[in-house]
Amino acid sequence: MIDQIVFYSLALLTVASALAVVLHRNTVHSSLFLGLSLAGVAGIYASLGADFLFGAQIMVYVSGIAVLVMFVVMLLGRASDLHLRQVNERWMAALLVCAVAAVGLFKVARLHAGTVVTAAAKPGTHDIGRLFLGEWLLPFELISLVLLAALLGAVFFTRTEKAS
Amino acid sequence: MNAPLTLAHYMTLAGILFLIGIFGALTRRNISGILMSIELMFNAANINLAAFDRFLHPEGVTGQALALFVMTVAAAEIVVGLALLLAIYRGTDTVYAEDFNLLKG
Repeated sequence: MIDQIVFYSLALLTVASALAVVLHRNTVHSSLFLGLSLAGVAGIYASLGADFLFGAQIMVYVSGIAVLVMFVVMLLGRASDLHLRQVNERWMAALLVCAVAAVGLFKVARLHAGTVVTAAAKPGTHDIGRLFLGEWLLPFELISLVLLAALLGAVFFTRTEKAS
Repeated sequence: MNAPLTLAHYMTLAGILFLIGIFGALTRRNISGILMSIELMFNAANINLAAFDRFLHPEGVTGQALALFVMTVAAAEIVVGLALLLAIYRGTDTVYAEDFNLLKG
């Protein structure tokens, strides 16, 4: 019973704040709701027994990406933005795309309506460490290269060019 | 409410989150709103990976490790995306997607 209460309240928090991210007129508010929604997803990870993923979600998303997005939104914001509509005029077509995608997604989800948990959750951090530094060493090193490239790209794009 | 939680519950939650993300990415005018919606979609995919790991392969951690890779790529994507947004804003003085028409002939 406690599992269901935890899952449904976290799902409600995540979906409601995700809707607020998409529909809120004020971009600063929607970046705050993004942090809330990401924290809800972290709770979902905890309810799935993925302990390291929970920690990584809090560290990378809630305290990294959400704060970064908030800074950029505040840097680029303008008072007049609050009076402009933030949604373009093709929202009907977008709703149609979502409806078509929803049919497929929920058809796939229904296939697993009988799949229940068979084993108790156990801490996975140790196994993830062994996997990353053993079998998956090459992808692990490659992903650090991707991060380095992203870092250099960010520096390259944001640098101000000197007037020559 | 008392029925046991199945994989379908988690997949439905991830599906709803993904659809909200798609809707936002298609309809927001503000580029930072589009980037936020893309983050929601990445998170939906990650929920699915963690749930598959828990329900279908509870003896391994492959799903969780894959979710960590997705998280890293998402972090790289948002950093480059926000840097590009700042650079374009400096040139065009706007954050709305329909005004980004530098390449229009």
